[in-house]
Amino acid sequence: MKAQAMQSMVAGFDNEAFGSQAVFRVALQALSHPGQIITMPMDAQLPQHGHGAAALLLLGLLDADTTVWMSESLAQSDAAAWLRFHTGCPCVSDPHEAQFLWLAHGQASNWPALASLRQGSDAYPDQSATCVIEVQSLQTSAPAWVLQGPGIATQQTLQVQGLASDFQAQWADNHGRFPQGVDVFLATPTQVVGLPRTTRILNSQEA
Amino acid sequence: MLQSFDKPATAPANPRAEWMALLARAPLPLLEQGLADHTQSTPQWLRRPETGLMMVQGRVGGAGEKFNLGEMTVTRCALRLAPAAPATPDPALKDTPVGVAYVMGRNHRHAQLAAVADALLQTPAEWAVLEQRLLAPLRAHVQAGQTRRHAQAQTTKVDFLTVAREASGGDEEETS
Repeated sequence: MKAQAMQSMVAGFDNEAFGSQAVFRVALQALSHPGQIITMPMDAQLPQHGHGAAALLLLGLLDADTTVWMSESLAQSDAAAWLRFHTGCPCVSDPHEAQFLWLAHGQASNWPALASLRQGSDAYPDQSATCVIEVQSLQTSAPAWVLQGPGIATQQTLQVQGLASDFQAQWADNHGRFPQGVDVFLATPTQVVGLPRTTRILNSQEA
Repeated sequence: MLQSFDKPATAPANPRAEWMALLARAPLPLLEQGLADHTQSTPQWLRRPETGLMMVQGRVGGAGEKFNLGEMTVTRCALRLAPAAPATPDPALKDTPVGVAYVMGRNHRHAQLAAVADALLQTPAEWAVLEQRLLAPLRAHVQAGQTRRHAQAQTTKVDFLTVAREASGGDEEETS
């Protein structure tokens, strides 16, 4: 690590054990109740770049054995140095090899397609990639999408702003590849929504 | 990274690397004494002291193939010094230097003090003071250790002497 990056480094979790447990709880909650907005407990110091909830989620989930790929703007910012310092995770330059991906807000055109990421295999579907996507806002009151699938009793409404325009088509494709496919977390600065590959996304008028 | 510790580098290319190596080998009393009032400061932790294992690698003869020598216990930490004036607002925190330490063993206090010293040494004003008060005694200590080990090793040295065969005696045998 460069001395310069070290100079602007900030601390991670205030309490490593409790902090990472809280993040695991949020990740578990988000993936078992797709579409529900979960508020991330913010008991850590955060880098200047990147959404707080996304940074915390990765800080809790990554370790030295998990590879991560970040959007260009994040990879060159203090967020990458911070994540590497605290988790020891190797950063890869090819998104197709990464186990975790951190996609920066506002650069949807540069995001790699979901279909190009690690999909796992039929024997090992767990070896697929997990995507943390930064979005502008999340709402459950305005029903742009209707979600259905395991973990949702009847249906769950969700509106997301800041996703790639063809995300819904990509997601339909991803859902169709079950048991293979990637899992996605959508993150605002403070909230997280889980979208496991089992979730169907419909437009509100279709449902 | 492979580094030889016992052979003094001809010219320390990086002064920070030199003092970090010194601090890592410093005995605790010398550190406490050299840092004086700085030992009581409460740092802002970036990484609390944590103990783990590291694989030590060597090269045959210092230049041959790399091989794993064995694992050793290492304690590391990173901290930022508390600002001199407590009233300093948050953004100024970024300006105080960050200290890092990797030390052998499980002594968290040693790691903390080495990191505090590393942070202090990065400010030129403190460097001038600590160079005299901390680094000079440490250099002497490390040097003394090396001299002692060298002297110990010297007592086991055997100088083999090859006695040259007497040229004349051999000739006599042959002639008789």
